[in-house]
Amino acid sequence: MTEPRGQMKSSNGTSSTVMDLQSASINPDVSSSSSSPKFGGSNFKRVSRTEDSSPCPIPGLAADILHMRVKEGSKIRNLLRFATARMQGEGKDGNGTSLRQVVFTGSGRGVTKTITCVEILKRKVGGLHQVSKLHYRTVNEVWESPQQGSPDITMQRTVPAICILLSKDPLDPQEPGYQPPQTPTEDAERRRALLRPAQSPSSQHTAKRVCPDDWTVCSTQTPKV
Amino acid sequence: MTEPRNPGMSSVPQTAPVHTDSSSAAVEMDPVEYTLRKRLPRKLPKRRNDVYVNMKTDFRAQLARCQKLLEGGGHREICVHGLGLAINRAINIALQLQASSQGVLQLAANTSTVELVDDLEPEDPDEAGEPMTRTRNNSAIHIKVFYPDPQ
Repeated sequence: MTEPRGQMKSSNGTSSTVMDLQSASINPDVSSSSSSPKFGGSNFKRVSRTEDSSPCPIPGLAADILHMRVKEGSKIRNLLRFATARMQGEGKDGNGTSLRQVVFTGSGRGVTKTITCVEILKRKVGGLHQVSKLHYRTVNEVWESPQQGSPDITMQRTVPAICILLSKDPLDPQEPGYQPPQTPTEDAERRRALLRPAQSPSSQHTAKRVCPDDWTVCSTQTPKV
Repeated sequence: MTEPRNPGMSSVPQTAPVHTDSSSAAVEMDPVEYTLRKRLPRKLPKRRNDVYVNMKTDFRAQLARCQKLLEGGGHREICVHGLGLAINRAINIALQLQASSQGVLQLAANTSTVELVDDLEPEDPDEAGEPMTRTRNNSAIHIKVFYPDPQ
């Protein structure tokens, strides 16, 4: 998993050495490969990391839409404080109306966080229509050689990415990846079904629930104990 | 994988998160005294064409299984599910399937929230402190990989 995958080429001007480490046709588990790779045992240092600005693959988006870019280290509460304020109309935009649509994007290790943000926002702001799209994103990484004078290495890597549109206005239900708004009754029923005790409650699990059903308190992170 | 569909069994929660004691939110808890034990996620319904992706099985094996379902198994669509860390892997599998089909296969992703239950067992049974459970939420993805109907 620590093997670098994808194509490497010298970034020093003339890019003469092009190495194919592995055929790009199959690219197993690209996401987990972002730990620092080793080239022949020597430690390279990552100098820069740039992502291509691939457009969101959702059709018919307004140009001035609120775009939340979720990164690996982004704090969920920061992202959500901003997004909920805009969606709930506290922070009115120029026209004096609250936002109708928001897009969340994330790639690599930020994908899970992106989905978590969307799931929380859907609960805070009810009646949102959703369309999710998956795609690969190309990331260019420049690695600095530990030896002085040797050329830097540019590595191209593809990471899975997600793009989720949340909209107060109805969206095309035929669009692949569409999800209708979750009605409160449905949600409550699902919850009740989850909490219904089984027919034979084992004595071992007669236990108290510590955490309330509040997203803001129970983050999806595994609690440290 | 090949066992017949059994909706009756699968819809029953395996374990019982019993007391919905909402006032216990304020219960003081010393984390040092407890061992955290994660329960398995609630058993989910499983059709023949449902694939639950995990982080234990080899990636290629899981990809090959999906490929076999679509090509050899005669399924027009399969559903790839991933929870938490496995979301990335589920997306990867779906995108790989689509890429290897030369763009014939289509993807439709849905997201959801899954409630998970942790058991907190006191380290010392004699010591005061009853076993507790704690629920938390995790994100999940459900990707339908399908051949679109010719129209």
